[in-house]
Amino acid sequence: MVFYLSIILGKLIVFFSQIFKIGAGSTWPGHLALIFDKNFLKKIFKKNPHLQTVVVTGTNGKTTTVALLKYLLEKKGWQVFTNQEGANLLNGIASSLIKNTNLFGKIKKQVAIFEVDEFNFPLIIDEFLPQMVVVLNLFRDQLDRYGEVNTIASRWLSALKRLSQTTKVFLNGDDPNLYYLGKNIHSLVFYFGLEKENMPHKTVSFDVDFNYCPVCFNLLSYKKVVYSHLGSFFCQKCGFSPKDVFTLSLKNITFPLLGIYNQYNLTAVLLLLIKGFNFDLKELISLLKDFLPVFGRQEKIVYEDRVFYLFLSKNPVGFNQSLETAFSFVKDKKNIFWIILNNRIPDGLDVSWIWDVEFKKIFVVDKKVFVSGDRAFDMAIRLKYEPTELKKNIIPIINLKKTLKKILKETKKNEKILVFPNYSAMLEVRKILIGKKFL
Amino acid sequence: MKIFLGWFYPQFMSTYGDRGNIIALSYWAKVLGIELRVVEISLKDPKEKILKMDILFMGGAQDIQQEIVNQDLRNNKGEFLKKAIEDGVVGLFVCGAYQFLGHYYKTADGKKIPGLSIFDLYTENAGDKFPRLIGDIGIKTKINFEEIVVGFENHGGRTYLSDKSLAFGKVVFGFGNNGIDKTEGIFYKNTIGTYLHGPILPKNPKITRFLLEKAIERKYKKRIRMKKFDEEWEKKAKDHVIKRYI
Repeated sequence: MVFYLSIILGKLIVFFSQIFKIGAGSTWPGHLALIFDKNFLKKIFKKNPHLQTVVVTGTNGKTTTVALLKYLLEKKGWQVFTNQEGANLLNGIASSLIKNTNLFGKIKKQVAIFEVDEFNFPLIIDEFLPQMVVVLNLFRDQLDRYGEVNTIASRWLSALKRLSQTTKVFLNGDDPNLYYLGKNIHSLVFYFGLEKENMPHKTVSFDVDFNYCPVCFNLLSYKKVVYSHLGSFFCQKCGFSPKDVFTLSLKNITFPLLGIYNQYNLTAVLLLLIKGFNFDLKELISLLKDFLPVFGRQEKIVYEDRVFYLFLSKNPVGFNQSLETAFSFVKDKKNIFWIILNNRIPDGLDVSWIWDVEFKKIFVVDKKVFVSGDRAFDMAIRLKYEPTELKKNIIPIINLKKTLKKILKETKKNEKILVFPNYSAMLEVRKILIGKKFL
Repeated sequence: MKIFLGWFYPQFMSTYGDRGNIIALSYWAKVLGIELRVVEISLKDPKEKILKMDILFMGGAQDIQQEIVNQDLRNNKGEFLKKAIEDGVVGLFVCGAYQFLGHYYKTADGKKIPGLSIFDLYTENAGDKFPRLIGDIGIKTKINFEEIVVGFENHGGRTYLSDKSLAFGKVVFGFGNNGIDKTEGIFYKNTIGTYLHGPILPKNPKITRFLLEKAIERKYKKRIRMKKFDEEWEKKAKDHVIKRYI
């Protein structure tokens, strides 16, 4: 009885928050349902044995991966729902279930895809066992909030060990630590990775945290590196190296998203749809070309006839990848940069990580670099200390709207502005550029 | 004027953005007209390398990296590191590196890992029931007592000095060595041990310049004199943190 009351109450909250446009609809219904009935999730999954559940976790790429999975499944005629981005605790998952159930707890849709952050992933696995799990990567992010990567990895290992033997687990095989996790669990494990010829670097960069062998702790060697600690690794001491990693030849694939990190997201999605849903690879590839980026990730926004490109950059690896992608994308290299750094709760309070991002390239041309956000001056010093003669180009202004006014004065119509915000900064700048509240 | 900066185990001891200290030292060396050569001191390097250095630096990392490095320090390089610090070489040792230089580190499960006993202090992790000490921190230091030095701390270990007067600074806000006695870090001979990430040097250029000036003074027996420095942004970045607490 309590179960049904939870659904009714939850649905009422969803209804009212939509009518009054208050942003509580993505977490509150689930929050209350879980207070009334601790076993709410277990019950609703039990009532819907047809429902396929997929959990996507990792440091970077979750939102894009979930969006791409949903897009392809829907193209193939499946009915899919997801939790809202940012609502990746239990209450967000419960809320998405409430939204998609009828009053009797029955869900019509066939697949639920949940995005879960790296910290909460083990807590989610305590509550229910999904049929499929994707683990994209593990980098350091918000050390003051999530803790060190090794702490996360050991929590992940004990969570993954609790999965059933029939659960399909998709892991990044180019990540030494994730590959190692896969070798120590009982489920059906599949690895995805990139072909060696598509790996651009020869040495590891400075944003790496797993440069030692997870078996014998010797320093790892790499034949080729993709970025951070991802690449074709091997241990000279104990021979630890990956086998049976699924890769794609990307030559004949038209995929609208830039950045080598998106090749990982794409490979993970395709592998999951082949192994988990028996889809045909060729057909999937033919469906990719119309996929659009999700908000804040290479998103293009036109404002006052200027073209802003948003590259979410919330940790050292993500920021380095955003910069690399931006440079491959702007051929003329004459664009204005706008870096926005906040340190609010969803960002982590510590901004020390910006010192592990490589900013040198920004100064290859004589163009302005605007720096805003709560910690604008931390970022301004970071740029000032780069060995360059172009320090005069750095303009720190904390307030985003004031910065935007300046940018409009500095630019002409159709000019491109490359924006690198961290998480809360992305929501903030997007709200200003689009003119409405999101989330 | 040319000085050598020895950077210990950059591949391992770099979890918390402490590389910013190297970048800050390089920047201010240039401003001061000093040629600064950064030399990496890694696992495979001979320990004799240490004795050629004018400034020594090591950052913080995770437990596993610290264990890997600790073995090399104890079995190999520690003796030369101790000699250098006792001789008055300028040094900065942050977080995990700071803990290494004490008598021991007791882990959460009670295991005692011996340190190099260069600093007269010990560190204990009180276990999972006691939260890590995380957050912004402001201290008044021996180097410049007028100005608050700002950083970010994130450590599970609690450090206790045998003599509190050896502390690098006094806590104005935040936790410091152990969250109780208001001491932060240690200042021994010409070496600083501290919990301050942030990293410490970029936002606190007076400390950065102090390290460089000390190194020059020691090597060339002369003092650098410059009247004005542009540190407007550094001050603004720092004030942004301070005004949240004071």
